[in-house]
Amino acid sequence: MSMAGQHGGDKPVTYDEVNRTILKMLEPPTVRWYFMLAACLLCVAVGALAWTRQILNGMGEAGKSHPDMWGCYITTFVFWVGIAHSGTLISAVLFLFRARFRMPIYRLAEAMTVFAVLTAGLFPLIHLGRVWFFYWLMPYPNQRALWPNFRSPLLWDVFAVSTYLTISATFFVVGLIPDLAVARDMAKSKIRQALYSVTSLGWSGNHRQWKHYMAAYLFFAAFATPLVVSVHSVVSWDFAMSIVPGWHSTIFPPYFVAGAIFSGVAMVMTLLIPIRKMFGLERLVEPWHFDAMSKLIIITSGILTYAYGMEFYTAWFSNNPYERDQFYFRAFGGMAVSFWGMTFCNCIFPQLLWIKSLRTNIPFLFVLSILINIGMWLERFNIIVQSLSHEYIPYAWGWYNFSWVDVGIVIGSFGWFGMWMTLFVKFFPAVSIMEIKELLPPPRRRVGAGSH
Amino acid sequence: MGANKAVVGVFSYLDDTLDAVKSVQSQQLDFRVYSPVPSHEIEELVVPGKSPVRFLTGLGAILGITGGFTLAIWTSLDYPLRVSAKDIVSVPGFVVIGYECTILLGGIFTLLALLHFCRLPDVLRKIGFDPRFSLDKFGVVVACDREQVEGVRDRLIQAGAEEVQIRDAL
Repeated sequence: MSMAGQHGGDKPVTYDEVNRTILKMLEPPTVRWYFMLAACLLCVAVGALAWTRQILNGMGEAGKSHPDMWGCYITTFVFWVGIAHSGTLISAVLFLFRARFRMPIYRLAEAMTVFAVLTAGLFPLIHLGRVWFFYWLMPYPNQRALWPNFRSPLLWDVFAVSTYLTISATFFVVGLIPDLAVARDMAKSKIRQALYSVTSLGWSGNHRQWKHYMAAYLFFAAFATPLVVSVHSVVSWDFAMSIVPGWHSTIFPPYFVAGAIFSGVAMVMTLLIPIRKMFGLERLVEPWHFDAMSKLIIITSGILTYAYGMEFYTAWFSNNPYERDQFYFRAFGGMAVSFWGMTFCNCIFPQLLWIKSLRTNIPFLFVLSILINIGMWLERFNIIVQSLSHEYIPYAWGWYNFSWVDVGIVIGSFGWFGMWMTLFVKFFPAVSIMEIKELLPPPRRRVGAGSH
Repeated sequence: MGANKAVVGVFSYLDDTLDAVKSVQSQQLDFRVYSPVPSHEIEELVVPGKSPVRFLTGLGAILGITGGFTLAIWTSLDYPLRVSAKDIVSVPGFVVIGYECTILLGGIFTLLALLHFCRLPDVLRKIGFDPRFSLDKFGVVVACDREQVEGVRDRLIQAGAEEVQIRDAL
């Protein structure tokens, strides 16, 4: 046991301390919290203004022109789906493998998943242009009785992302139930008591409830685990099923999945480090948790570096002039800065984590996690924008021009995500009370009693 | 719990709780155990065996895979339109739809099973529940008749209950 206090010397952590430490986060907000919320809302306002302008004047406002019709929107969509990805990895896959380092971080990772999918889901709508026709994406026939094309990766994506949102949101809410019961039973104000009574569904923690709850939780984890593999594989097929040079590649699914885990773990760090500091969670989220996450980053960075190398190798070995030219353009063309930025952020800087002391150096990890997120956004930019800018014939080549509407909506998405996270940490337990308690040995009168 | 009294024992220790459970089990009394965390020891003692949640999960998954493939195949046959030289019924492409629907319906049915078997929502909660049971205490609530109350209380105290309350059962 490596929870604080389980080492010799410190006072052991008790159930009561866990309750109080975590629920302290739900106390009335401070000025710093209001400042964070205001900053997020300002970004949302910028995004809303930009979107309104695009709706009024059309897609031209967003700098979209042939051949770059996907631009920042789909880049940012894939970025957010990727961020969402590792929440499920941490909550479901590591649950099945009984990885203990997940316990203090998984709730935050799950919240991140749900809010990142909510954010990602906005982009196909924004990118539609005429957003009021969003329901055309749903599988029902049009007025000519023509059904959507179930052979299209874009429709697979609708199914994959909606399933992912439904299952990850359910998993998240189900995980919250016992903790909300604790919040209900410790609430001092009537309003909070009523709020948590309703949201905990009247959970009492009797033996039958725990039995069925744990069985159901295991099944949710078992269902969510294949989603970790499937959702980003399906997103990668949006690209790989086409014939665009730079996209048509069989390595895309594992490459995207590894990239998603890489960026998601980095985003967990970006969120966890300030929250840990702000709410005094140092005794629950310890340096060894960061060490474990850093090791996950090294592994996934290695897989990504290999995938980047293999893309170039395949282009060279295939002897296909279009593929070769595409990858030459990525590294040495007019947008090469994004390629080299990606390489430094995703392949070179994470190698510093081989140094043990850096894996527990919190300021370093915070900076690195932000660099990784920048690198991962650039990766998607390289795949989407660079490939579309430089297809088969020079006549069709083009250049992507950012507009303030385009950038404003990307900023708005970060504000939207940040707003949900900021509200979440103030109204719901951002660290799982139940699972932290599970980490502790149950209190016994007779030392050494018990069969487990 | 059809008896007219509920004896509530509050425990600080898991091993005391297990002793109390064994003691009331030997008297074949109706009881309920509360704990702040799931405990395999309580589960094995009180409700051994597997949860029936898995049957509804399985049913949902089967309906999902059947429904996903049926939707994709039926709609393709309803308006046959060949796209990119692919078969009208392109099974490899429909695997994704079947796969996602399996997970979707399996998850939804698991949620329904959870709510059904845990008897949720239960906003009024049951007689004998004490808010401390979700925080840091264990509880054993025994339903009994008026004349059994004293005996049950003695058993709970003997097992190590730090507090025993007598409440009216419904």
